[in-house]
Formats: sequence, structure tokens, C-alpha cells
Amino acid sequence: MANDDPQEARAIARVRNGDADAYDYLVVRHLPRVLAVARGVVRNAHDAEDLAQEAFVRAFENIGRFRPGEAFGPWVCRIALNAALDVMKHRTRFRHVEIAPDDRATRSDDAAVPAMSGEIAARIDAAIGELPDMQRVVARLYLVEEVAQEEIAAITGISEGTVRSHLSLARKKLREKLADLYGHDDA
Amino acid sequence: MPERDDFLERLRNDAAMLRHRPDEATLARIRERIRARVERPTVTELLARWLRPVAAAVAAVAIAVTVGYITIGQSQWQSGVDAGVEISLAGETYRVGY
Repeated sequence: MANDDPQEARAIARVRNGDADAYDYLVVRHLPRVLAVARGVVRNAHDAEDLAQEAFVRAFENIGRFRPGEAFGPWVCRIALNAALDVMKHRTRFRHVEIAPDDRATRSDDAAVPAMSGEIAARIDAAIGELPDMQRVVARLYLVEEVAQEEIAAITGISEGTVRSHLSLARKKLREKLADLYGHDDA
Repeated sequence: MPERDDFLERLRNDAAMLRHRPDEATLARIRERIRARVERPTVTELLARWLRPVAAAVAAVAIAVTVGYITIGQSQWQSGVDAGVEISLAGETYRVGY
């Protein structure tokens, strides 16, 4: 994905020249998405914050390797994603706190969301959580974070075709798992 | 997978409340932590800062020792030449260079 934000390109150039202050612009712009990506994998807020922080620090330290003209967001998201997947592989070495139901819904209009919607969302969350690694990552980014397939490809480092393939497999499994909510047929 | 997938659209719609929106305080806290990390010198930079004067001092001492050693060596050689040589031959002693 190409970088279409001239201010971001300038900030990257300044950071490459040793101006650490310029990095804040990149952090502010991309932190929410990086947090969401990390949180989608590790499923708890504290680890996600640590991972997001580490991802930005690593990106800063390796800014020399970043190809000018590329989009910074997917790059730092990919660093966070890989670190998060790594954490999941070595979960026993890390503190693990399952995401609490109260922690799940953070919409500003939570109070107005009927309990039924919360239950459906919880079912979807659980069903996505049971998917294999990459299907889970792709499904969560696409369904929960509403990330476009092109950007998912850039974040995960896989082709758009493979993203579609993972999404298709995830869709099939989710359809089965959530058949009582959405029915069996695609029609 | 069809272009427009009603099932996925409904899933997206129903999963929207799972989307995490971090509050401003959380974002500010992480920003501060990142800022503190990137503005803090790395271990390599700290080592370089500490080692640079040490390396310069060591280099200066090494140069001084080398120059001193060469100078002393030269002066000893010079004084050796200036001192002359005694040669004993068949009971006679010959002195050269005095």
C-alpha cells in the first residue's frame, strides 16, 4: 500500500533524520489501529497496550529499513501483529487474563444496546476466537475492525487473494457455528 | 465468496459492538510511554557516549607511549653510537669513537 499522506511522509523523513519529536504524529495517527490489531489477537487490554508500545518502539528503531513511499500504518500494524502472534505461541510465559465481558463492549452508546445484541456479539466473538490463527486474524480485522481486504493484506503481509481465501474459510466455519442465529443457507 | 455477502454484512453489523475504542487517557498514556522510549538513548548510544572519551584517552596514552618508546629507543641508540666501542685484540685494547 502506498502512502498518500504527505504530512506522514514528511514525519517519516524527519524521524529518519533523527528527529524523535516527529514520531509523535505517526503514533497519534496509527495507535488506535495498532491497539485494535494487537487486542484482536491477545484478547486482553494490558498485553495489547504493551504490544502496541513495543511495535512503535521497534518501528522507530528500524525506521531506516522502512521503504519510503509505503504506508506506515500497515507496517507498524504488521510488527504488532507478528509480536502478538508470537505472544500467543508462548502464552504460558505471559500473564494471561481472559477478556472480561464488561471489557468487550466499549461503544459510547453501550447503554442503549439491547442485551440481545450483546449476547449475539459475544457469540460472534467466541466463534471468531475458535478459528485457526490467520483466519481469526483476518476475520477479526474484517468483521470487527472493518478493515478493507487490501489493508488486511498489507497488515498481514499476505496477498489479497489469500486474505479472501482465509475469509472464505472463516465465513464457512462461522456460518456453521452461528447457524442458530443466522440460519444455514446463504440464500 | 460473493461480491456482496449478506451474511458477512450482518456479521459485521452485529460484531460492531466488539470493536474496541480506546479512551483518550489510554491513548495518551501509551503515547507518553512510546515517547519516553524513543527519546531515551539506546544502550548502544549510551555505550558509545561512554566509550568515546575512554577510547580517545586510551588512544592518546597509546600514542604517547609509542612516541616515548621510539624517542627513548632513538636516544639510546644515539648514545650507544656516541659512547664508542672497545676492541681487545692480542692483548691490546683499541677504542673507537671516543
